[in-house]
Amino acid sequence: MNEMLLSFVVIFPMIAGICVPWIPWKKRAHMLVFLETAVLINSALMWILLFYRPAGGVTLFHFTGNLTIAFELDGLGSVFAGLVSFLWPLATLYSFEYMTKEENEKLFFMFYTITYGVTLGIALADNILTMYCFYELLTLVTVPLVMHTLTREAILASRKYMYYSIGGAAFAFIGMIFIIIYGTTTDFVLGGVLDPKKIADMGNILLIVYVFTFFGFGVKAAICPFNSWLPQAGVAPTPVTALLHAVAVVKSGAFAIMRVTYYSFGTEFLRGSFAQYLLMAVVMFTIVYGCSMALKETHLKRRLAYSTISNLSYILFGAVLMTPLGLAAALSHMVFHAFMKICSFFCAGAIMHQTDRHYIHELDGFGRKMPKVFAIFTVSALALMGVPGLCGFISKWNLVVAAIDSKNVLSFFGAGCLLISALLTAMYMLTIVIRAYFPGEGFDYESISDVKDPNWMMIVPLVIFVAGMFIFGLHSAPFVDLFLRIAQGQF
Amino acid sequence: MAQILLLPILFPIAAGIILLLCKEFKNRKPLLIYVGSVLVITGICAVFAMIQNINNGVAAFYLTKTLAIYFKPDVLGCVFASVVTIVWILAGFFSFEYMKHEKNEKRYFSFYLMVFGVLLGLGFSGNLITMYLFYELMTLTAMPLVLHTQSREAVMAGLKYLFYSFAGAYMALFGVYFVYKYGTTLEFTAGGVIESSVLRQNTTLFLVVTMLMLMGFGVKAGMFPMHSWLPTAHPAAPAPASAVLSGIIVKGGVLAIIRLVYQIIGPDFIRGTWVQTAWMILTLVTVFMGSLLAFREPVLKKRLAYSTVSQLSYILFGLSLLDGQAFTGSLLHVVAHAFIKAALFLTAGAIIYMTGCKRVEELRGIGKGMPVTLWCYTIVSLGLIGIPPTSGFISKWYLATGALETGIPVFSWLGPVVLLVSALLTAGYLLPITMNGFFPGEGYDAGRFLGKEPPLLMRVPLLIFAGLTLLIGLFPNVLINMLSALAELFV
Repeated sequence: MNEMLLSFVVIFPMIAGICVPWIPWKKRAHMLVFLETAVLINSALMWILLFYRPAGGVTLFHFTGNLTIAFELDGLGSVFAGLVSFLWPLATLYSFEYMTKEENEKLFFMFYTITYGVTLGIALADNILTMYCFYELLTLVTVPLVMHTLTREAILASRKYMYYSIGGAAFAFIGMIFIIIYGTTTDFVLGGVLDPKKIADMGNILLIVYVFTFFGFGVKAAICPFNSWLPQAGVAPTPVTALLHAVAVVKSGAFAIMRVTYYSFGTEFLRGSFAQYLLMAVVMFTIVYGCSMALKETHLKRRLAYSTISNLSYILFGAVLMTPLGLAAALSHMVFHAFMKICSFFCAGAIMHQTDRHYIHELDGFGRKMPKVFAIFTVSALALMGVPGLCGFISKWNLVVAAIDSKNVLSFFGAGCLLISALLTAMYMLTIVIRAYFPGEGFDYESISDVKDPNWMMIVPLVIFVAGMFIFGLHSAPFVDLFLRIAQGQF
Repeated sequence: MAQILLLPILFPIAAGIILLLCKEFKNRKPLLIYVGSVLVITGICAVFAMIQNINNGVAAFYLTKTLAIYFKPDVLGCVFASVVTIVWILAGFFSFEYMKHEKNEKRYFSFYLMVFGVLLGLGFSGNLITMYLFYELMTLTAMPLVLHTQSREAVMAGLKYLFYSFAGAYMALFGVYFVYKYGTTLEFTAGGVIESSVLRQNTTLFLVVTMLMLMGFGVKAGMFPMHSWLPTAHPAAPAPASAVLSGIIVKGGVLAIIRLVYQIIGPDFIRGTWVQTAWMILTLVTVFMGSLLAFREPVLKKRLAYSTVSQLSYILFGLSLLDGQAFTGSLLHVVAHAFIKAALFLTAGAIIYMTGCKRVEELRGIGKGMPVTLWCYTIVSLGLIGIPPTSGFISKWYLATGALETGIPVFSWLGPVVLLVSALLTAGYLLPITMNGFFPGEGYDAGRFLGKEPPLLMRVPLLIFAGLTLLIGLFPNVLINMLSALAELFV
């Protein structure tokens, strides 16, 4: 029974989403209640599954041979699934208020809810084919969300997003084929599935294929030089930018990379190879590049998007260390960054929704007019910088300790990159905070008298995220312990 | 009962946050009573905590499994905390009067209280990570004091201060990771926490790390080449805030360096290496440069800030010699300079408050109207120059004899020479104010200063600081005995 639930949580949001435009809603409120209930039920089921984990998996279809669409809940998947299912109801609640100012809500909510199912599909995928299918599907269902406003800018952005993602998936496809041919199985097994007998003299080719796969999935994780779609996609409504472009979509990319690295190709095979060094260098460059671009950007949401680029590469940096500690650190940053970034994006969204201001230089003096939002934004800024006591510190600590532990000299420089990036983060986040709280001598507060805090539907998710940041920051031991056990295959 | 240690740290922080969240006060009295009582109660708690003789320390909680937030008041921490308490309470009472002519008093006082708690936390920190936590918090909570006036200049100064400080903090954090990885513990232990065999194997790595950490913490202590924030930021703050910034907060950097060199890395490892040489060169350059810049600076508060740059490097030079006597001298200078520099900035504040004069040449004849203020100024100036019977003489005596005793080639005589030249410059930039103040010259009308003696609330702190300077100079033995015992333990 439990096994069937695995496919239920993937399919249920899709069905619920598809229903939305077809039901003749009498009132908007009815639709909202329906959506929130559906999402909550799904999340509740997902969390029940996390605690009472089904021992086996479930196979939906057989194509040919060993190619199947199958779901199973393992350690890595449960982290991602748990994260997504925790955030989705909150983001949905937030978007109810946000979408009052946008058109075509029904279509928006349809795709938004379908995406939930698709993302869970990636998290629960048991083999590389399933993951690949849902990965492609994710691109397709999120394109309409990026395009939502139907401005010229949005259409261009969504087109770029689609080309980049599908192009990336094509590269990943190469990797999938090689795994199917040279692996003992297509399932995900911690430590890798490559068959040593088959790959005897194919080592270098497989490494090159791995690099291709990495970049292919890396497109969604906005790795340099394939990052330019992410800031552009910021034209989408904020719930999309916040949840999808800071968590679900981009982390699917990072998640897929972890899967192929640790569960398909295997770290034994990759560690110490040129592929590892090359990718580490690329990731380190992206870390610094993202931050520098963020500093230069004056549009609030785009600045946060560049910050996401850099932070995603933190996760990838942990992943390419190719050690259990590295994977654990990557997982912790995946979860913690989700909280920090969704929180800062939601603050940005609240500002846009309430005041229609998009640029940072327009935010002078907002700290006093939107005290709740800016207090929360400040906390998320401090967390992103890595101030001890908040969650960002813990994940950076884990990352650097893993880097030093890996005894790989390049990773020492990686630690340096993380710290340079932390400094740049301080610069691009705190300039916003200081501007908002210290607008300068003789600032006329009358000129922004229209600015005020949003209602509870926006504040509640924000408060929960802040609480999460403090909990992860002050009491991280159980979480980090769990990640470590997952990375060592004990969970 | 050991938990009483947390009280002086948490109480003012909580009180500050509560004050920040309160509504604006209608009149000043309740605000001042609140702030005054919090200051006094915290002071009493701090004294109690220090005389409790807590040997085992208190672990407040754990950030991760191995990272404890751990407090332990050793002698060094207690010296630091006592100096903080004295200066903080006195400057606090001074600001009751001074802040009358500034806006946003409530914000000023709430952050003033918070920094008090944070500094006590810094003093009582028992391990590296706790110290780092409070070090970052110190930077953050002191920032609103720097840009309090919100003039464009102040905001820019605040940002500069913030970014320099974070750059330093992250350089230090880089080292913290390595210490965590290779050291036996993060707890401060005289002689260092890293096994000598480990140090031998990774000599280059640890020398680089030590240098980075020295320069990182050195940012706070205004060490060349990262000193330039100090003369920008300190004068921008309101005078009592400048006093505590220049007198106390910079000492946070000194404390961190002492902890690092003597209790984490161990002086034996650094002695005779290029790190020590580089460190000595940097400090001597800073001593000379700071004095010279102060000498040619016409704005009084800026002049005092340059003087801080120079004087702090006296302390750092003493530490860099890695010698017992010089170490004693350094710590004596920490105490002496804290009182002297606080008094000097408070004088500058009193003058600005009463007359509005900011530049040195405007102060001609000021002694006619403000004799008490100028006498206090003169006494502490003599202390800073190092003329007996003031505290500065004792500390410089120990520094110079310590330097001569070490027998390090070149530096053992170059150091004292630079110190003496700098003392001469100190006389050159401080004493003209006294001379022109009391002897304005023939035909000069000092009438505009008549009756401008500041009120009691300002005069008393000044008198106490001047008295302390003389007292330490006349009866230094208690302090010297305590500090040389500490030096013997450390070196």
